[in-house]
Amino acid sequence: MATTFKSLGSGDVTTTRTLLHESIPITGSIVSGTYGGDAVALGAEGHVKTYSHGMFESVFDYPYLSSSANHIFDITAGYASTSVLSGASNTQNSKKINIYNQMAQVLVGYDITGAVRLFDEDGDIVSGGTKLNECYFLNFTRLLTKDEIKKGSFELELGVNSDHDQAGGVFTKRIKLTDTSGSNGYFVNSPAGEYGVLFASSSVGTSALLTSETLGDATTNPACGLIFYQAGVAVISGSVFNDTGIGGILHNTNTDAMEMIDGLGYNGFDFITGSTNDVVADQIRNRIYNISFNNTTELNSTIYFCRANNTDFNYSANPTYLSTSNGPSEIVIKDGTRTNDPLTYITTVGLYSADNELLAVAKVSEPLKKDPSNELTLRVRLDY
Amino acid sequence: MAFLDNSGDIILDAVLTDVGRRRLARGDGSFKIAKFALGDDEINYRLYNPSHASGSAYYDLEILQTPVLEAFTDPEAQMHHRLISLRRNDLLYLPILELFESGDSTRHAGTNSFLVAVDTDTEDALGDLGGLIYGAEVGSVLSSFVQIDQGVDANGVLAVSALSGDLLETQYQVELDNRFGSIYNSGGSRARVSFVNEHSMASYYVGLGTDATYVSRITDLSAGASSINGRRGTRLSFKIGASLDLNGSTSLFTKFGGTSTITAADASSVSVYHIDSVARVTGVTTGYSMDIPIRFIKKV
Repeated sequence: MATTFKSLGSGDVTTTRTLLHESIPITGSIVSGTYGGDAVALGAEGHVKTYSHGMFESVFDYPYLSSSANHIFDITAGYASTSVLSGASNTQNSKKINIYNQMAQVLVGYDITGAVRLFDEDGDIVSGGTKLNECYFLNFTRLLTKDEIKKGSFELELGVNSDHDQAGGVFTKRIKLTDTSGSNGYFVNSPAGEYGVLFASSSVGTSALLTSETLGDATTNPACGLIFYQAGVAVISGSVFNDTGIGGILHNTNTDAMEMIDGLGYNGFDFITGSTNDVVADQIRNRIYNISFNNTTELNSTIYFCRANNTDFNYSANPTYLSTSNGPSEIVIKDGTRTNDPLTYITTVGLYSADNELLAVAKVSEPLKKDPSNELTLRVRLDY
Repeated sequence: MAFLDNSGDIILDAVLTDVGRRRLARGDGSFKIAKFALGDDEINYRLYNPSHASGSAYYDLEILQTPVLEAFTDPEAQMHHRLISLRRNDLLYLPILELFESGDSTRHAGTNSFLVAVDTDTEDALGDLGGLIYGAEVGSVLSSFVQIDQGVDANGVLAVSALSGDLLETQYQVELDNRFGSIYNSGGSRARVSFVNEHSMASYYVGLGTDATYVSRITDLSAGASSINGRRGTRLSFKIGASLDLNGSTSLFTKFGGTSTITAADASSVSVYHIDSVARVTGVTTGYSMDIPIRFIKKV
């Protein structure tokens, strides 16, 4: 019986799961240099979108009015209502508390009384410990993080030269925040998936820029934030801009508390009290030297093994398979000799439903010769 | 639709078709791959040169160098020609499909296609014209019909006899644009549509034994009784009925076609709207297919 289809048995189909990783480097020049620098006022750059509510700002990789622009992350900041910075006279006081609570309820959830938990510095919620009461947030888009940020790959480098400067002077001293523990230890007690702790270390110079730090000794690096891998959110403590004199992690003498806004004093993250969130975001953006991580895409694949045995698919219904000169039914490649083996050249694999609908197509990059002396297994992978 | 890079390892480029994606989106379990077929649409077997002076390694060199187009999502535009599995390796001839044009089954001489009159005005104006299928009064004895013979045609090398065994085609798939018309048998009964795809192509399956008014064995072995000059298999006959849209409106003619003039049976000249289309007939068992030119016409 002639046939053109071959059924796929249970042994011809299998499923696999593959994790793909891409390196995502976000250089500081994209964040605050290329479209700004000291020639354009912070917040007026074409690739930064601000909103009338002033609660956050969005960073694009290109001026956002262009159709080529991609939204890459948002910046916002907030503090807990119990924070020492909280005060009714602050600019946007309630909005900053709302932002903190919103992020906290999504990322760390509620305690047994129904109260929103505070971000915990070391992730050990049960034991209490130090809370991150004043934070800023980098919310990365799904375009960048895909299914999740790869654990152990996140790096955020910040300029911590104390003087305010828009032309890159803040980067003469830098610290790097990494989730070095993420590759072998992370937390699963969040309602928003897995998260790791960010630790800070000096990244430029021979002097430790962090109070507790011994250069080269990772165990002395202070915790300063959390990275939520599936949610794609970095929660950074405001203490990265404060020296120990005002409750921060920066060295008192090797650096100082940051002058976040030109002329408004060396008061570090405390500047949040007097500015709207988009202005806060501008100043944080001005101190981002580099962000990098690897993202992860989970590919679920079904593999169909299309097996052409020696007796299968050796003839073709292609009109050119038959002669035009020796009668319309004669097979041309037989060259008039019945005992010559038939042969075909495969270019396409069609996957069909039971009712003969073509559901998927695969093409080989060059014709494959098929004759009764060979057998082929074509492995067609469909990714979902 | 670019070519695939064929400079290195053999790669396989796979995509879901429109139909596949739609079934997947439906989420009702209808996306289930049950079988596969192999195709060779890009291959021209007539490039095979068994008398190449440099030897057998060069016979198929030109075929193997054929660049292959990347996969794309339109199921209608690929897998036109499938490879066939047959247990025998000693076949020199394969069965084919041929139009058998005789009497009322000839194409219209002026257009080399079958004309389908979509309303009675057009039928009356053109009369008993050769190659004119009555698309409004499908059962009319004045109507032409399409007749396709299947078998092994070896230009008289093989004696005329009945084809049997694994080369006999027992089921046909007829595809026709559902916006324009439907398949009917000679008595004027409409065939059951198997499915209509997203390009409005309707598929009809008719088989030997189950649809005797469409498919029959060719039992007459006399010289002029078939277009197959060799082993004669089965015969497919059908008519085409016009859709209501063509029957009652000219909008589809304006959108897809044009106007022309046809000489009627009484030699008068009749101006008509026309749409050119094809009916594709495929042997389900043997995979051989042919496109039959169809012109739908409506008197202006």
